[in-house]
Amino acid sequence: MSAITRVGGPASRMWRGRPALSPGALKGETVWHALIPVAILSLVILIAPVLAPYGGTDVNPVGALQSPSPDAWFGTDEIGRDVFSRILIGIRTSWFAALGVILLGTIIGGLIGAIAGAFGGKVDMVLMRITDLFLSLPAPVLAIAVIAAMGPSLRNTLIALSIVWWPWYARIVRGEVRALAARPHAEAAQLAGVSRTRLVLKHLLPGAAAPVIVTMSLDVGNLILALAGLSFIGLGAPPPAPELGAMSARGLQYLFGHPWVPIAPAAAVALLALAANLLGDAINRRLDQRTTR
Amino acid sequence: MTGTGPVLDVQDLHVTFASSGGDVHAVRGASLQIAPGEVVGLVGESGSGKSVLGLTALGLLPRKPEPRLEGVVLLDGLDMITATDEDMRARRGTDISAVFQDPMGSLNPSMRIGAQVAEAAGGATDEEVAEMLAATGIPEPEHKARAYPHELSGGLRQRVMIAMALSRHPKLIIADEPTTALDVTVQAKVLDLLAAASRERGVALLLVTHDLGVAARICDRIAVAYAGRIVEEGTAAQLLQQPHHPYTVGLLASRPRLDGSIAGGDLPTLPGRPPDPRLPLAGCAFAPRCPAADAQCAGPLAIHVNGERRNECHHPGVLTRWPEGGPHAGRRDPILLKAPNPVVAPAMVRGVPPEPAVVVRGAVREFERPKPFPFAKRPAPFTAVAGVDLEVPHAGSVAIVGESGSGKSTLLRMIVGLLEPTAGDVTLGPGAPPQMIFQDAGASLTPWMPIGKQIEERLAALDVPSSERGARVAATLEAVGLPAEAQTAVPRALSGGQRQRAAIARAIAVPPALLACDEPVSALDVSLAAQVLNLLCHLRETLDIALLFVTHDLAAARAVADEVVVMQRGEIVERAATEDLFTDPQHPYTRELLAAVPEIHAMAVPA
Repeated sequence: MSAITRVGGPASRMWRGRPALSPGALKGETVWHALIPVAILSLVILIAPVLAPYGGTDVNPVGALQSPSPDAWFGTDEIGRDVFSRILIGIRTSWFAALGVILLGTIIGGLIGAIAGAFGGKVDMVLMRITDLFLSLPAPVLAIAVIAAMGPSLRNTLIALSIVWWPWYARIVRGEVRALAARPHAEAAQLAGVSRTRLVLKHLLPGAAAPVIVTMSLDVGNLILALAGLSFIGLGAPPPAPELGAMSARGLQYLFGHPWVPIAPAAAVALLALAANLLGDAINRRLDQRTTR
Repeated sequence: MTGTGPVLDVQDLHVTFASSGGDVHAVRGASLQIAPGEVVGLVGESGSGKSVLGLTALGLLPRKPEPRLEGVVLLDGLDMITATDEDMRARRGTDISAVFQDPMGSLNPSMRIGAQVAEAAGGATDEEVAEMLAATGIPEPEHKARAYPHELSGGLRQRVMIAMALSRHPKLIIADEPTTALDVTVQAKVLDLLAAASRERGVALLLVTHDLGVAARICDRIAVAYAGRIVEEGTAAQLLQQPHHPYTVGLLASRPRLDGSIAGGDLPTLPGRPPDPRLPLAGCAFAPRCPAADAQCAGPLAIHVNGERRNECHHPGVLTRWPEGGPHAGRRDPILLKAPNPVVAPAMVRGVPPEPAVVVRGAVREFERPKPFPFAKRPAPFTAVAGVDLEVPHAGSVAIVGESGSGKSTLLRMIVGLLEPTAGDVTLGPGAPPQMIFQDAGASLTPWMPIGKQIEERLAALDVPSSERGARVAATLEAVGLPAEAQTAVPRALSGGQRQRAAIARAIAVPPALLACDEPVSALDVSLAAQVLNLLCHLRETLDIALLFVTHDLAAARAVADEVVVMQRGEIVERAATEDLFTDPQHPYTRELLAAVPEIHAMAVPA
């Protein structure tokens, strides 16, 4: 199609009529705009606990194991805590923990990938072999090791996940930077006298933004599941913190008598992961459209 | 089947694609007939609808966006517009076949050549395959049949495609830019092969090309496409010697030629651009660009038919020569561009002849070859440039010509400093360091950075104070003929010609002593190419920039260079003043290059 709509010619008179190949490009839209829906969802999740009718750790032994009712929508657990309130808080924890790991992974991985890609040669080789080393670590085993060494806490879980997560970003960024560095535009910028730092920051790294954002957005769902999994086997925040995986695990014993106790938090994890994946797909499609025109 | 009727009969064909910005009218009422055994050229610039017409005849239009087809396309009696996919598939190969620009994209990379030819032929023995390959001039056909596509050169691959296209004795071959990606000497041979194959076997050939010279070399009849219509049609001789439609006149004139035009003189250019394919057309589509247009031209189309000849001009034949010069960008005040900073000013010492822009002495460049397998001995390095001496005088213009693999681009990259020479010296003259113009302008601009910023970077790198940069950027854009809006546009929002101008703007924002150009116009349409060549010549004169111009296009070299250097296999085999080289070539390789250029002879249109 581009061959058919392509037009040529110099003078400014022609400027107005030419078909915009990419409307976004003309409006000054950047790839970062694709993240606006994520920001909106994050805001909703951030303020959602305000709606919680009770505190997340408010104990009420008299009202233990109540069935769902207008007072407690998802019922109460074995020591009378409101499951709905705990889920709202748990969602916030999971969501921002996932974003935190991704952000940390992007920063560390992006830095290492950019350095490896921009310098090439020995620097590239050493950095990428280190990256491979981390990639080869099995995530759950490493998490168990870190938590065994440092004690169970949400912070330690996040550290463990970040250690296994950043290498993916390092590889993506390094690959994009190397591919872009081989393009004539990098040589042209070099000939124009652009400094090496500026070349990497302004002429190479922005090209990696689209694939990184796509990976980030598709990773949110994965991380929510990974976090819930670790927390389910007791490697998350210690009780009484409201955490979805842990809530589900501790509620399992009531599965037959009071199913809302384990199932409600599990369903929340599933819904949150689904929402994250749908969002990721939407961002993927949108950026894909931009890059393929 | 029908025997005497045309093998392809296109009548009033309209092809429309739906797009988000409105319907795109790719073909707007084109009619074309091809008789059995006839060789017809369909010539036009990008966007003229020529390729869409060819694809429609093949039944190979893209499904997405869905095209709307109106009119009649009869392929030996079968209407390809209403035919079912199965009918069309049955016809492809037996009645009609195609040769495309990129043979690598059409061949299966994981299948041996012989097997692919046999498949295209609908089953053939090894001997038959070898015969078919031999018939297209492939040396050692039995041996080559066992090769994979990537083991063959571009020219050989295209010959394989032709062998496949001929394998089932079709009645019509549609060749869409079959030689555009090939070197000039190979191009000539492949064209001659196509023409000979078609004549010997009585196969009709529709040659779709942007290059009138290519069509002129082999075609009986030529049709010129513009804005989705065939604006002029006639025998090759009639059309080239006495074009009736002003667009044909303009196309002929803007082609750099081997004879006639003198370096430094402007090539005539077609002002403006083709009409927006999304807008409806009233009257003659070419009128807004036509020097001979008047009020009548906006009226209903005037179609003149006279025997073989047909044209859609309201005043056919009124324009016999394209007006000289024409409105061409870059005529504006270039003074602002003069470097205000003495450090980067071109060296002009009164009375002393200025130092050359670059002197190359004994330059050698080798590339290491990869080991064939681990622990193997590393093979001897490949020598791309084998000891070259070259000098580009101050504000001079030197063209390096040669085929791909001749080392001309490697030499250029050593001169601008993108590659270190393995041996020898490159000594640059005083002034701002050299800049380079790349073949693919789009790829040479950073995709996400506005044009203005990219030009500014160049100014910042040479310490132009930030208060002056805005004005300098604006002046530079104007000097290369870009509108001020280009400053905030990203490269994607520009057309191909505009991108090349933007790349030139960055290179000359601070005039360098030497501007190295690597095939700067080979990706552009003829009329755009002429504009860019003119712009380069003009900048050289006004800014005292020396040009070093690498090209495989001898005509373009003639249009811009004072001196031409011919390279073959990493060595300079001939160097001469431009006129001498073209009138009296010494080296056999130079003669071969010159003979291979598709040239339009005996034209009535003066350059």
